[in-house]
Amino acid sequence: MFDIYLPIAEMHFNALILVAIGFSVGVLGGFFGVGGAWVVTPALNIFGFPMAYAIGTDLAHIFGKSIVATAKHRKMGNVDMKLGLLSIVGSVIGVEIGARNVMWLTKVGLAGPVVRYTYMFLLFGLGLYMLYDYFTKDKRAAAQAAKMAAARAGAPVPPRKAWNLPPMIHFPASGITISFWTVTGVFLFTGWLSGFLGVGGGFIRMPALIYLIGCPTAIAVGTDLFSVLFSGAYGCFTYGVKARVEIIAAILMLMGASIGAQIGVTAVKYVRGYGIRLLFAIMIILAGLSVALKQFRFNTSAAWVVMCAALGMCVVIMVKLWQGFKKEKADKGLH
Amino acid sequence: MKRTLTLVLNFLLLSVPATMLFAAEEKAELLQKKLDLTKLSGINFFFGKWYNENLWIYAIIVTVLMGVVGLLIALVTDVILKMIGMEVSKIEHHE
Repeated sequence: MFDIYLPIAEMHFNALILVAIGFSVGVLGGFFGVGGAWVVTPALNIFGFPMAYAIGTDLAHIFGKSIVATAKHRKMGNVDMKLGLLSIVGSVIGVEIGARNVMWLTKVGLAGPVVRYTYMFLLFGLGLYMLYDYFTKDKRAAAQAAKMAAARAGAPVPPRKAWNLPPMIHFPASGITISFWTVTGVFLFTGWLSGFLGVGGGFIRMPALIYLIGCPTAIAVGTDLFSVLFSGAYGCFTYGVKARVEIIAAILMLMGASIGAQIGVTAVKYVRGYGIRLLFAIMIILAGLSVALKQFRFNTSAAWVVMCAALGMCVVIMVKLWQGFKKEKADKGLH
Repeated sequence: MKRTLTLVLNFLLLSVPATMLFAAEEKAELLQKKLDLTKLSGINFFFGKWYNENLWIYAIIVTVLMGVVGLLIALVTDVILKMIGMEVSKIEHHE
């Protein structure tokens, strides 16, 4: 019923499927600050979209979607421009190093397993750490409060260890002052990982901004999307030149993604930082499971796992948005 | 002494990325394909024509179009969300 002709891929495809995939990745992208290529490619694959165009088409729609999401996050004060620009410089160099390392591994015939096991280790490790962080937050808050009480009572408090090699940079939007080398090192490392694993890198940068740089969660989400905007623009153009973008499919996906991104970003307003971290942890553990299934050649199951996880998470985010909106309306009614 | 050490460390750290770039890179290859334009009409013909004739212009069209469509949809959905009371402004950051 919704069949359309895709002129570049030279095939008929269901427009509704493209809009729906775009919508769900838009919700996830706006809420978590990621591009979502790790969901789109297997999803397109399941429905028979030609793989030759999958990555280019995906990157093209990610560019348009991240404009929508970044603009909205900026309105909410969630984008640290200075940090975002630094992240782009560090990431570009890191990606290049990662890509060259993969080429070397390819030459010695080890690229496939090394990349996949690193990917799995990273997704499971990061997800489990974030879960641990979530479930021990109250204990840590209590310990911090006890330390503060002891300091007020006059007991000596050991100084917090930090690497303060000059030059130090202040990021007013995030409210942090940190060594230039720490920031560069972190972005070089996250860029290296994304070049090494062949992914956009949003899902690595977002937790790195929280845990290694010290950004508040909402600012990490917004700033990460700001970086995704630039990598998406570059990806869109370069894959266009390489004849790998199916433009009609990209526009349809963008239509769904732009609406989804608005919903995802608005939901950030109603969910506390730790809530976002918990949902993100669950999402990347499921993505890790999908990669593990792929490693053992259960390709179809792997694609279904990541797609069902994405759809399930979309529903959770929309429910959270609706609950928060209703609560806000009720509170306004009381005042 | 501390100042000199800082300068030396800064210099060493600056040289790290350059020393790490040591192998060749792989690039996505160009798809060698020409579309049959006789089957296409309207907007599909426009995109197909540029795809066949000049991929640089095709890439510029794709990139600009994605940006413009993204912005337009953002404006429209923003108005709709405002109408139903879901407008956003600066938020406080709770962890």
